[in-house]
Amino acid sequence: MSETTNSYGYVGKIARINLTTRTVTEIPTSRYVPENIGGRGVCNRIFWDEMRPGIAAFDPENMIIYMTGPTTATGIPTGGRGVFTGISPNSYPEQYAWSGIGGSVGAELKFAGWDGFIVEGRADAFTYIYINNGEITFRDAEPLRGLLVHDTQRAIAELHGGEVQSFVIGPAGENLMRNATITTSNDNVAAKSGFGAVFGAKNLKAIAVRGTGDVSAADIPKLFELRRRMGSPSMRKNPLVRELTHGMDGNEIPVEGGWLRGQVSCSHGCNQHCNRLMLDMKSAFGDGRVNQVEKCVGIFAYGFQEDCSWTPIQNYETERNHFLACKMLSREEPEPDTDDPHFDALFTKVRGDILNFWKPDFDKGSVMMDMCNEYGIDKWDVIVWFFTWLSMAKSEGLLDNLDFGMEVDVESEEFVRYFIEMIAYRRGEYGRIFGEGMARAIRILGKEQYGDALYHGRVSQVTGERLDLPVSLETAWGHSYHWQGRGFEGTINKPGWVATSLELMNSTRDAQTVAHHHDKYENYLQFKDDPCRSPLLVDGVILSENKAEIKDSVTCCDWQSPDLYWDSLEAEMFAAATGIPMTTEELNRAAERSRLLFRAILIRDFGRTRDMEVAAIFPTMRYPDASGETVEWDEWNDLVDIYYTKRGYDLTTGFPTRETFERVGLPDVAERLYPAEVEP
Amino acid sequence: MSDKSNPHIVQSPPEESFCAGCDSCEIICALAHGEAVSPARRRLFVRRDIRTMYHTVFTCRHCDDHPCYNACPKKGAAMRLDGCIAYIDDAECVGCGACARACPYDPPRVNYDRERKLARKCDLCRTREGGPACVEWCPVRCLSLLEIASEVE
Repeated sequence: MSETTNSYGYVGKIARINLTTRTVTEIPTSRYVPENIGGRGVCNRIFWDEMRPGIAAFDPENMIIYMTGPTTATGIPTGGRGVFTGISPNSYPEQYAWSGIGGSVGAELKFAGWDGFIVEGRADAFTYIYINNGEITFRDAEPLRGLLVHDTQRAIAELHGGEVQSFVIGPAGENLMRNATITTSNDNVAAKSGFGAVFGAKNLKAIAVRGTGDVSAADIPKLFELRRRMGSPSMRKNPLVRELTHGMDGNEIPVEGGWLRGQVSCSHGCNQHCNRLMLDMKSAFGDGRVNQVEKCVGIFAYGFQEDCSWTPIQNYETERNHFLACKMLSREEPEPDTDDPHFDALFTKVRGDILNFWKPDFDKGSVMMDMCNEYGIDKWDVIVWFFTWLSMAKSEGLLDNLDFGMEVDVESEEFVRYFIEMIAYRRGEYGRIFGEGMARAIRILGKEQYGDALYHGRVSQVTGERLDLPVSLETAWGHSYHWQGRGFEGTINKPGWVATSLELMNSTRDAQTVAHHHDKYENYLQFKDDPCRSPLLVDGVILSENKAEIKDSVTCCDWQSPDLYWDSLEAEMFAAATGIPMTTEELNRAAERSRLLFRAILIRDFGRTRDMEVAAIFPTMRYPDASGETVEWDEWNDLVDIYYTKRGYDLTTGFPTRETFERVGLPDVAERLYPAEVEP
Repeated sequence: MSDKSNPHIVQSPPEESFCAGCDSCEIICALAHGEAVSPARRRLFVRRDIRTMYHTVFTCRHCDDHPCYNACPKKGAAMRLDGCIAYIDDAECVGCGACARACPYDPPRVNYDRERKLARKCDLCRTREGGPACVEWCPVRCLSLLEIASEVE
């Protein structure tokens, strides 16, 4: 591929935007593709090539990389998603991480002629970046300072026209709140890595994009075939529905007069509409009503007495019974095949633990959501971690000596408003502390007393027993539990949480956002009794991890991929976009390269070793799951041995061997990581 | 302008089918006409409301007196008529933008890229078997072809 020449799928160049020098340079995309596919694969390569150890998240030297994939803006479904990477202020400790995001900026960026951008340095004045086709300029953002997210989006549209697309931060990002989001249209966010705070540290309020150029897929008939087949069955009406209740499984609440539900898609060109739009909801700001998007976690803002239930079909599938995750939220699941001999096992719901965090309150939940949206804060940590901690710590009498300036009461809308505002603006001593995110706040306060103390209010609905849980729902790397057997979405059984915990161990942040774990039920039957000694379970973990790299690189959506019974889906998407033949095996090899670059970055810049990652994850699995199960040191390490062996890592250090790097075409990485005598 | 419009693409009311804001119609429009995907090549327009998330699809009404056709300095060549459909012959169009300026609607239903001198307008996929592609491929079926002539709103 020739440099900077337009080609199918890619538009040819990446912008290097230096805020310190206010300069822009072009990098030919062909320097990185097709070998690194796009998206996260390219980000990982750039970060490996250009960064070095010793840089902190808020340093000017930290770079925020945003990349689209070759499918973005082509019309191949779900290709509208893109990926940010950089050193995450929300990971604990700070580490290189990623965050996916939907919306339309990625497509607009490609229409403007850019496959992605690297933002580096720090502006000496509050700035936003305006990308207008090939022209990239630095604009005064002082008039935008302090604006809420939607006001910022509106102001940018007034300045540059209604067609402009933007990434913006709210007050939380400006105040370096470590859970700050980058937000775009339809309330899409890059949330978990806290990159909104990196924007803030760079004095960057927004990136606005307008493009009018062309993006071409190579194989249009194939593109239409993919649109027809992906997400099938599709193509049906999407009426607004008046719901009379909200919440599920122990958190239901009747809503007087009902509430109006719509379904919207998250990204340009998607063929689904899995995001739930809640219309005419109570706003946190003034007397107005707002429409807002609720995704999986949002439902718990409105009531959190009982944890999310789990149905095995969410993770384990048969050829006769499997459907896409996006069909669940749009409530368009196909009728199950009841003749499947595994039907009963797959569809038997396991109710979540009784937790009694807060009672259902429709308006209070809406206010909590609206504040997160407008201040630009990750809803996940607010709902799953901050407020569950406040509830549990209060219940256990741990807050008696902490004066927040208001009595802690998670049932009170007034307190919800007070606390979220306090952390977004980092007001007072506790605003400064909790603005550091929960992992750091707990350590500032004293982890033993405020994090590890036990909550005695959890009751399993599997065993009927009280199963104590720490008051801080922390798992590894400064993130909270997510489908890990305890805490939020904790109902998944041991073979499932062993797999998701292994995926988290190898990560730097919550992995169950782009790597929701899936495996075939026939495999599950083989490893369910001794999951930690199963090479087959590890195969499923590696599949989920590799597919996550692929999804974030091609790009496509976690809610449509993987389809375990259409393994070549992502390769077909890539080939349709680029015209470059691609097999499932070749794409998998690219995913392995991307993961190895990620691991090489962690080893070089952040001291990642086996001891470090096992120590990070193991304690989180010592608390009982809903069935009272835990994991033992030996069995976990047996599982890690199997995983390292399959991945080609040294069993002692956890470093990939030279041979592993060379096998996927990365001898240069091995050479740089292990100069001369340093063998893993 | 005439108080009549001809068959044209209409958006369903939200209680019937809510626009998901995916832009698939704009994408499919360009692809169905054998073109690259581009804001400059769409023949209908999704106007997004980033706050309410009510998105409006603006489409050509195919006016009875077709002012876009009348304004074209090369009408009959660059702008042609096929029954009630005024359509652009790309090979003949000089990109003057007169058709867009003549459109009585706001926003104009002719897509004119001043910089690239590209004009595009809906032709109801007149040569396409199966009719308008945007209707066929809307993932939420919120677009349809209004067959009968209607009063201009």
